[in-house]
Amino acid sequence: MKKPGMRKWNKFFAVMSLALILALTGCGMSGTSGSSSSVPSSTSSAAEESSQETSGPAVKTEKAVSLGKIPKFSGKAYVNIKHGKPDFKKSELKKKSYEHYSDLDSLGRCGTAKACIGKNLMPDGERGSIGSVRPTGWHLIKYDFVSGKYLYNRCHLIGYQLTGENANARNLITGTRFLNIEGMLPFENMTADYIKETGNHVLYKVTPIYKKNNLVASGVHMEAESVEDKGDGISFNIYAYNNQPGVKIDYATGESRATGKNSSSTSDNSASGGSSANVASKGTYVICITTGKFHRPSCPSVKQIKASNKKIYKGKRKVLINDGYVPCKRCCP
Amino acid sequence: MILIACIDDGGGMMFNGRRQSRDSVLTKHIIGITAGKKLWMDKYSEKIFVSEKPGNLMISPDPLTEAGKGDYCFTEDIQPGAYEDRIEMIMLYRWNRAYPSDLLFDIPLEEHGWKVSAARDFAGTSHDKITEEVYMR
Repeated sequence: MKKPGMRKWNKFFAVMSLALILALTGCGMSGTSGSSSSVPSSTSSAAEESSQETSGPAVKTEKAVSLGKIPKFSGKAYVNIKHGKPDFKKSELKKKSYEHYSDLDSLGRCGTAKACIGKNLMPDGERGSIGSVRPTGWHLIKYDFVSGKYLYNRCHLIGYQLTGENANARNLITGTRFLNIEGMLPFENMTADYIKETGNHVLYKVTPIYKKNNLVASGVHMEAESVEDKGDGISFNIYAYNNQPGVKIDYATGESRATGKNSSSTSDNSASGGSSANVASKGTYVICITTGKFHRPSCPSVKQIKASNKKIYKGKRKVLINDGYVPCKRCCP
Repeated sequence: MILIACIDDGGGMMFNGRRQSRDSVLTKHIIGITAGKKLWMDKYSEKIFVSEKPGNLMISPDPLTEAGKGDYCFTEDIQPGAYEDRIEMIMLYRWNRAYPSDLLFDIPLEEHGWKVSAARDFAGTSHDKITEEVYMR
C-alpha cells in the first residue's frame, strides 16, 4: 500500500493509542514519554533531534557533523564524512518503515529528519505545492547565472520522492539551487531508485547544520544505509554545502549578493513567500517624500504617488536606509 | 572486446565503492544480447547477474584484460580508459538520472573518435528511461 493510505491508518492508530493511554493513565501530553523539544545546533558542533515520535520508534538525541571538520567550500557540492561510512548503530537498522521530523526550534529552524524508507512510504503521485511554507532565512531572489534563476529553493530534508512529504515545515529549509540540485538530489535519486528496484529499506537521516543563530543552514549532513543487505546497496555519509557559486550569502539573514563583476540580481516578491531582498548595492529607486518609503521604479505603488511627492534617487540602497527611508514592503527594493 | 557500461548524467559509474544504480530489465537485456558469447565481469558485478543464471558468465578479477575479440565485458567498478585499445565496440547505457559519483567513465568518446551507430530508449523496472547507445569507430 502506498503512502496516502498508510498515513491515514497511522493517524487513526496514533489517535486511538493516545486516547487509550490518556484513559488508562490520566496523563497529559507533557507527561508522555519522549516529548522533548527539538533544538537544532546552537553551536556549529551539534544538531539534535527531537525524540518525539508520531509514526515511528523513539529517536535518541544524536550529534551531527561539526562544521569545524568540514573543508571550506571549493565548488564541490558534497564531501565525504568519516570516509563515507554512516554512523548508524546496528540496532537502528530495522526492516520497518517510519519517518520522523524534528520540531522547529525557537528560531523556527528545522532539525534532523530521519526515516526508514520502504516502498510503502514513497509517493505514487506528483508533488503538491510547498509555497505556503516559508523556511527561516527565506528570500525570493533571482540571479541570471543561477540555473532556474532563483537562488533559494525550499529544500526538502528528506526528498519528496522518498517519503512524499509536501508542505511539511519540519522538512523544508532554505537551500540554494546548488545544494538542492547538485548536493542533495543525486543522493535522493540513488536512494529512491535502489528502493524501487530492490524493495529493500534504507535508513536515511538528514540534519541541517546551522552556525550559532544563523537562519540559513551552512549545509546538510546526509547519512543513509540500506537495511536488508547491510549497506551493500546504499551507504553514504556526506556533507552537502548550502553554497551557490558566484553568490555570497549572509547565513545569519539569508541576504545575498553576486560576487562576479557582471552578475546581476533581482528580487521578485510577487509570488507567495516573498520577503525583503536587498542584494543590489546600487540602483534606481523612487522615493515618496510624504511616506518616507522607497520603491523600485516598476513597483505598482509608484503610480499612486503624486508627482510632487516623488523623487528619483540613483545610488546605494544603504544610503537611503541610513537616511531613514524605509523599503516598500510590496516591491522590497 | 565489446564493452558494456552504465553511466549517469554526469558520466559517473560508482560512488563510495558502490554502483550508482541497477535495473533488472537492463540485466535481462544484457543477458539477452550477449547470449551465445562470453560475458566477462568481475566478482562485484556477478551478484546482479547470478540470479538469472546465464550460462555465459566469465568471472575474473581482471575482465577487461581477459576478454578477447568478440567477447562482451561488463564493467562497473573498473574504469575502461586504460583498456581502450582493446575495445571494438562500446554499448553504453544511460540511466538518465543524476547520481553522486566518484568513479567516472573515463573514455572521452567524441574526442577519441567514437561515434554513435545506434541508439534507443526503453523503460526499466526502476528507471523511466534507459538509453542504449552503441559506439563504433
